[in-house]
Amino acid sequence: MGTPGFGGKLLVVNLTTKEIIRLDSQEYEKYGGGHGTATALFWEFCVKPGDWDLQDAFDPHNMVSLTVGAMAGTGTPASARTSVSGMSPQCYPIQWFCHSNFGGMFSTMLKMAGWDGVAVIGRAESPVYINIVDDKVTIEDAKSLWGLTTWECQEEIWKRTGVRFGQEWWKLDGGYSLQRPQIVTMGAAGENMTRVASLVHGGGSGAGQGGFGGVFGSKNLKAVAVMGTGSIKIADPKGLKDAREWWDKTWPRGGGFGGFGFGSPGEVTSCCVGCGIPRFCHNRTRVHSKDSDDCAESTWYTLEDRQVPTEVNQRGTDICQQHSINAMETCFMGPMTFDTSHNPSFPIQPKIPAYSALGWYMKKMYDMGVIGPGTKFDTSPLPMEEYGSRNFMEIYGYAIANRVGIGNLLAEGTARFCEKLGRTDDFSTLCRLTMWGFMDHWSMPGVEWAYGNLFDSRDINNHDMSLGRKNGITCEQFVNIMAKRTPPTEDPFWFDYSWEGEQAYKTGIYSEHKAQWVAWHQHYWNYYKESVGFCDWGYSQLYNQAHKEGFGHTPEIEPKYLNAVTGRNHTFEDGLEIGRRAWNLKRAIFVLQGRDKKMEKFTGYYYKPGASYCGYAKELTVYDGSKWEWQNCNELYFTVEGVEKFKDHFYKVEGWNVDNGYPTRKTLEDLDLKPVADTLQSKGKLG
Amino acid sequence: MAGDNDNTNTAVEAVGGGDGKKVSRRAFVVGSGAALAGGALATTAHAAAQTTEAPKIQKAVYPRSTKYLVYDSMHCAGCLGCMLACSLVHEGVTSLSLSRIQVHRSVLSKYPLDMQQNVCRQCPDPLCVDNCPTGAAHVSAENGNIRMIDEAKCIGCQTCIKSCPQLPHRTIWNPAKKKSTKCDLCVNTPFYNKKGGPGGAQACVEACPRNALKVVDEMPDQADHRGVAQNDTAGYDRNLQPPAPKMPFGFGPGAKPKGKTGAKPGAKPDAKPDGAPDAKPAPEGKPAASAAPAN
Ligand code: SF4
Repeated sequence: MGTPGFGGKLLVVNLTTKEIIRLDSQEYEKYGGGHGTATALFWEFCVKPGDWDLQDAFDPHNMVSLTVGAMAGTGTPASARTSVSGMSPQCYPIQWFCHSNFGGMFSTMLKMAGWDGVAVIGRAESPVYINIVDDKVTIEDAKSLWGLTTWECQEEIWKRTGVRFGQEWWKLDGGYSLQRPQIVTMGAAGENMTRVASLVHGGGSGAGQGGFGGVFGSKNLKAVAVMGTGSIKIADPKGLKDAREWWDKTWPRGGGFGGFGFGSPGEVTSCCVGCGIPRFCHNRTRVHSKDSDDCAESTWYTLEDRQVPTEVNQRGTDICQQHSINAMETCFMGPMTFDTSHNPSFPIQPKIPAYSALGWYMKKMYDMGVIGPGTKFDTSPLPMEEYGSRNFMEIYGYAIANRVGIGNLLAEGTARFCEKLGRTDDFSTLCRLTMWGFMDHWSMPGVEWAYGNLFDSRDINNHDMSLGRKNGITCEQFVNIMAKRTPPTEDPFWFDYSWEGEQAYKTGIYSEHKAQWVAWHQHYWNYYKESVGFCDWGYSQLYNQAHKEGFGHTPEIEPKYLNAVTGRNHTFEDGLEIGRRAWNLKRAIFVLQGRDKKMEKFTGYYYKPGASYCGYAKELTVYDGSKWEWQNCNELYFTVEGVEKFKDHFYKVEGWNVDNGYPTRKTLEDLDLKPVADTLQSKGKLG
Repeated sequence: MAGDNDNTNTAVEAVGGGDGKKVSRRAFVVGSGAALAGGALATTAHAAAQTTEAPKIQKAVYPRSTKYLVYDSMHCAGCLGCMLACSLVHEGVTSLSLSRIQVHRSVLSKYPLDMQQNVCRQCPDPLCVDNCPTGAAHVSAENGNIRMIDEAKCIGCQTCIKSCPQLPHRTIWNPAKKKSTKCDLCVNTPFYNKKGGPGGAQACVEACPRNALKVVDEMPDQADHRGVAQNDTAGYDRNLQPPAPKMPFGFGPGAKPKGKTGAKPGAKPDAKPDGAPDAKPAPEGKPAASAAPAN
């Protein structure tokens, strides 16, 4: 019997050899489950054999994995994420090892079937799907599923089971159920191996960033379906209920869960298993768009200069989900614009869209005459004269997903589209891409998000900071609360956003204090979010106005839930250490893929006025050498010198060589990663 | 029958009671599902669905339960938190299969036909009790006349499961123990941090974040009960939402719908906070039968 809370087994399927490998998941628990475990599996199966160059995400050697942590299926709120990991075809210029995640019921069902993850390597000769029914795993023919949308595919697999919704109990080999299989799949965008393909589960859950739908496509893998009739052992059932009740009482619901508790009892939400937090990620009443009501898809077709009717927008959500198109990467501009007119040197005037992603950039190129009829890049089949119409949107989605006409270029994602046009300078002007080809996404002026993007491989998409002005509390009181909630260091200067002059180096954004905070933040999410499965909308939470002392539920609730489920006696810091281990293992993979200190540079616009125009927190906590105050940091931008100084601090904090950014033997061995140090040494890449 | 204070029922009422005129939401689901049955593909790796035998005629007269679990399928989030809480407090594990309340959602189907909540109705004429050959299924006088199964007496013959007139059946089979079990409103909950049962708490109700479950004293309307399929709309599936608070910034049920397709939460004209004893009429704008789940 494995550790309570875990399914106990990991599944690796080799589609080339049709081998089905069962591993004991307990041996991987030191990596945390979820993404941490996936990182270890990637090391084991893709790096250790040393038989390929780790460059092409569509190479059959690549592994795509769906892994879960201890919390999935335990009924705790905001904890049912499934992590998706593997080398990403979306990352640019190198297709880094990367991650994404999705919610819904998949993680719970996987656990009920007794698995903590399923990882896939190789490539099937013809389309297949993986069918997991409790302990039984089969590779099924999916020729007749190929070409179906994500919704059709799920309906078809349900039909194959012969089970009809709500009719009668389903008898399987090991047990009974009224549920149907939970499925993750992709549509045309995945089948055609676009770099902007998501994985879709249910009506509106999806893993967009990373392009893992295309990795499924490259493996001829249409779907993974799982049906479980088992159970998850809970070490301390009463303790788990106590923890939940303590949480409910201490942080009343609607009192700002992740800052998004704006729901009301009358709304008709739907959510991941065990959650029910009124953030309204999904809505049962959506007529067109099935289940989804979340931001990226529902604002996909938001345009700069015209109002798109709601129903057209909702159809846009459908398009993204049915074709499995990454809405974030391909959207038009996002729901907001920001004023730039006060800075005439800024390249986008007079206002800048929240996201200048592929749709927006394509239109800009058309308006500038770079693409379009008569140019080197014809825009066919896009009816540019109908831009803004539903018809245009339908064709745009179809063309990308099926690589038709200019859709073939757009399917490569924004960074590679720019490259094809010969306009890589646009990365740091019009496109505002982060350093690894992802669209900027509120990453400034909250620099921990920007730095996270720099040292990781994607837009880290962490919404957990809420540093803006708070009512009824001074700035100094606020940073002291934040410090108390970030053990073990408890340093208020972690939250100093001084960005000009000496202070920026002493305690501000280039200081060692900030480096420690960024490291804490990375270790936190590597374990608690991406590996354990806690949702970004709820975790971490350092401050909460609903609490009498302003405390958020971090760092208390995470170990309370985890220990009740697993029976361990872990402290919050033990979790951070597991996150650090997984993070260092990932760093070693990056290094073998080509990462070094020289590469870790922001794109140009981060170093210029305007870098923070689209930030989600304008007012930040600033220490001027004598006192704390909230200051408008709308103008915050980096200097090259400052960032280089910061990198030195950060590498030191992480135990990486400050000259090249490689992890040192001591760091790796302290984390019980000696074989990793040996591999790096054999490649001449040990720090 | 609803609201009737007479605490006993007759055999006649049990099999044929009610006016039978209401067509429930549930009837639509069952009806359209049956039409599709012939088109469903044959089971592949899985065993065929379990069948339910027709219930037998009621033999005895039983005192009514003093408590009933009712629910609000129009506001349920489908989070399955109630199911995980149920199995947790009864069995010490979280399990979808061992939960005595069953919620399932067809995520690609249209609201409100996408959701099913299946609870034990604590039937006035409990066929599970009536047909149990050992007396394991019984009416527990010391627990408010709740219909319960005494695990020690259960021989695993599944008669109670076959007898359950609801579809899907509400008596649950535990394959590991080879025993039948059912909702006891949390009387026997060794892993609960509270006292459960008719005078105590219920884990599912506590866990529900959407006010979609409640235990009530009065027997819900049994009018649609035909003994062959669940027609819970009659009395068990009801609006349980508290009156909507005034929400700032245009959020919440008071807010004007956005555009043509903006959601109209809480738009039921009949919406009555719980306590409303009458049946929940069909929701406004109810989709046609063809919109029912395809499988
Ligand atoms: S806990 Fe409530 S909202 Fe969640 S599935 Fe059960 S009844 Fe529905």
